[in-house]
Amino acid sequence: MSKEYTFDKDDLKKIEEIKSRYPEVTPAVMPVLWLAQDKFGHVEPAVQKLVADTLGLPQAHVQGVASFYTQYYKKEKGKFVLDVCTSFSCQICGGYEILDHLENKLGIKAGETTEDGMFSIQSVECLGACGYAPMLQVTNDKYVNNLTTEKVDSLIENLKQGKMPEFESIPMPQHETES
Amino acid sequence: MAEIIIDDKKFEFEEVGKVLQFILDNGMDLPFFCYHPSLSIPANCRQCFIEAGQMVKDRESGEYELDEDGNPVIRWFPKLMTACSLDMADGMVIKTHVTSEKVKVAQADTLELILINHPLDCPICDQAGECPLQIQTYKYGPEGSRFEHKKVHKPKRIQLGPRVILDAERCINCTRCVRFTDEVSKTHQLSIVSRGDKNYPITAEGQVFDDPYSLNTVDICPVGALTSADFRFKARVWEMNQTPSIDVTNGKGVNIDLWTRDNLVMRITPRFNKEVNDHWMPDIGREAYRLFNENRVSKPIIKLDGDQVRSSWNNAFMTVSEKISSVKSDEILLIGSPYASLEDNYAFQNWFNRLGVSDVYFTPHIEKGYGDDLLLVDDHAPNTNGCKALGFKEVDAKKMAKLLSDESYKAVFILGDDLLSRVDIDDSALESKYLVSFATNHTETTKKSDLVIPITSSAEHIGSYINVDERIQRTIPAKETMYTNRKLDLEMSMGRLDHFGTKFDNWVSDKNRVDCIPAWEVLVRIGNEMNLEFNFASPQDVLEDITDKIPALENVSYDRMDKENGIALKLSAPKSVTT
Repeated sequence: MSKEYTFDKDDLKKIEEIKSRYPEVTPAVMPVLWLAQDKFGHVEPAVQKLVADTLGLPQAHVQGVASFYTQYYKKEKGKFVLDVCTSFSCQICGGYEILDHLENKLGIKAGETTEDGMFSIQSVECLGACGYAPMLQVTNDKYVNNLTTEKVDSLIENLKQGKMPEFESIPMPQHETES
Repeated sequence: MAEIIIDDKKFEFEEVGKVLQFILDNGMDLPFFCYHPSLSIPANCRQCFIEAGQMVKDRESGEYELDEDGNPVIRWFPKLMTACSLDMADGMVIKTHVTSEKVKVAQADTLELILINHPLDCPICDQAGECPLQIQTYKYGPEGSRFEHKKVHKPKRIQLGPRVILDAERCINCTRCVRFTDEVSKTHQLSIVSRGDKNYPITAEGQVFDDPYSLNTVDICPVGALTSADFRFKARVWEMNQTPSIDVTNGKGVNIDLWTRDNLVMRITPRFNKEVNDHWMPDIGREAYRLFNENRVSKPIIKLDGDQVRSSWNNAFMTVSEKISSVKSDEILLIGSPYASLEDNYAFQNWFNRLGVSDVYFTPHIEKGYGDDLLLVDDHAPNTNGCKALGFKEVDAKKMAKLLSDESYKAVFILGDDLLSRVDIDDSALESKYLVSFATNHTETTKKSDLVIPITSSAEHIGSYINVDERIQRTIPAKETMYTNRKLDLEMSMGRLDHFGTKFDNWVSDKNRVDCIPAWEVLVRIGNEMNLEFNFASPQDVLEDITDKIPALENVSYDRMDKENGIALKLSAPKSVTT
C-alpha cells in the first residue's frame, strides 16, 4: 500500500552516532524521528516502523512518541506547514481569528492540506512566544509574530513565491528600556 | 519494630513496602486506579493522595521530639503524596480521607477532573458493577461536575485485536494495559498515543493486538475502556454468580473464577494465586466456558444397530454390569484420563480393582513447543501428575493405539477424555470391542463409543487436579446438574438471580442443567447393581480414601486446599511406567 522506506548507509551511521550519545536506546527515538522526517518529509506509520525496527524498539512505543508532538508529521503534509498557536495567550489575542482567516483563505480546515500540496494548517498548543501573540510557525522553523489578517495575507503571497519569512527579533519590554 | 501511624492508629511493620499496599493489606480503603501490585508504579492517576509526615526524632537522644502539649512533632511533606509510590518508614504519620479534610477534597477534585471527559455511559457499559471508577465516584467523588462544555470525543468500538475492544472515551489513561504488555506479556503491543485530553492506548498502526494474554488487560482496566469482544453485552456483573475453580485446559492449573448465570458459564477470569498464576491467565483458558455450556452429553447414549440413541440411566447401568459379567477380567482395558479429576480417576481404578483388573493406562496430552515462558505449558491436560500419582501406566499415543487394537481386549472403558482424537487408530480395530466412555462433551471418542455415560465437568463437581508443578488444587461446583441444587449444596454459591429468580420469569430456566452424574457416583451406582462393596458418599470420601492410601498425598484435604490456595506435593510415585 504505502511506499517502502529505508535508511541508507549514511543515515545508519548518523543513527549509530545518535545512539552512542545515550546510555539507553529509547532516548534516541526523538532525534532519529527528526532524521527520518528531514529525509522523508514526514513520519508516517511506515516510517515509524522503520525507525522502530532500526532501533530495535516496539513500533507502538515509537508511535506513542511521534503522536505526542505536533512537530512530527504523522502523514504527508504540504510544502509549508502553518502551525497556528491557539493556546491561552494567542487565543486571547485572536489566535482563532487568525486560524479562521487562514482556513477561509486556503479553503481547508486545520489538519488538512491544500490540493496543490503547498500548505497545511495545524492548530497547535503553546510555542513559547506568548509575548508576540498571536503567532504561527512555518514548517517547524521561522516564527511569524504579532499576526494580523494583512500579515497573514502577505505571508501566504511570499510563501507562494517560495520566500520564507525572515527571522524577526522582537525585544521584550524589559529589554527595550535597557537599550 | 518499625512503626507507622495511619489515621491515628499505630501499626507495626517489618518489611518496607509502599504505603498504599500496606493500607490495603490492613483492610483499610484508599481509592486508586493506576496502581497494580504486579506492575510497576507510575503514580499517574493521582487518586491515592494522602497527607504524609515524619515524626521528628532528636538526633542525640533518639527520642521523638514533643511539643508543648506532649504530642510528637510531625514534619509534614509540603504537598499531598501518592500512597502507591511512597515507601513506608519508621515513625511515618499518614492521614487518609478518614482524618484529613484536605485529602478528602483532593480525592473528590481528582475524580472531578478524571470524569470531565468520561462519557458516563454506565447503563450500557460492561464494566458497570465492577468498575473502580464507578465505585470510587460513589464513595469519594464530587456531588456533580462543574464542567459545562462539550466533552472530548475519541475513537469508540475499536477492535484492537481478536479478543479486545477499545472505547477510548472511557479511558482514564492509567496505563495499566500498556504496562501489562510491556512488563508481563512482553509483547509491547500497546502504547498511549497523542497527548493531553486526547490521549488513549492503542496498538501501533496496522498492528493487531493478538497478545496471547490480551484479555488480562480487560481485567485490569479500571474502567470500561477495554472490553472482551466475546463477553461484551452478554451479562451484567450483578446477574452472575462467581465460583472459584481451576483451569482444566492446561497443565499449569491456573486459578480461575467461573461466572455463571442461569447455570451457564458466561465468562472465566483469573483468580489471584501467587504460587501459580499471579493475577493472570492465558486467553485460551477463557474459551473453556464453551466446553462447560456447549455440546454436552446429557443422558446416557447407547449404540443400537449402529445408531447412537439416548437411553435411561438404569438401562446404561444394567448394560455395563451385564457387559462386565460377560467378559473375563483380563479382557477389560482401562484407560484413565489426565483430564479427569483425581477423585474420578481413583474411583475408576479402585472400582475395577475390585473386579480384578489392576492396570489402568493413560496417554498424556503433551504438545511439544506449545508452552511459553509465562503460563502456558506443553501439557494440555490439568491432571497428568494425578494419573502418575495413582500409579497409572503412562503410554504414548502409538502404544495406546496398539493396546486399543489388541484383540485380547473385549471391553474398553475410557474415562472423561477425547482419547481417540489424539490416538491414530482404525475404526475397524475397535469394532470387535465394546467401548464405554465416560464423557462430558460429544467428541470423536463418544461418536465411536457403544455406550456413553455423561459425567460432570469441572464446573459441576468437586474435584482435585495436580498440576505440572505437583500442586494439588480443587474445583467447586458452579453449574447445577439435573441432580444438584444450589440451595441445598452448601459448596455452591448463590447469586442474586439464584436467590430471587423463578422458573416463571425471563432470566431463570431449567434448560441449562445437564443430565450427568459425577464419575465416582456413576461407579457407586453400577456397583450397587452388581453388589460390589463400593460405597463412597461424596468426593470428600473418595479423597480421604486416596490420602489414606497414597503417602505423597497424606494430610491433603479440601479445607487445606482452600485455605492454602492449593498444596505443593512431593510426588514420589514411580514415573512413566511403560509397557
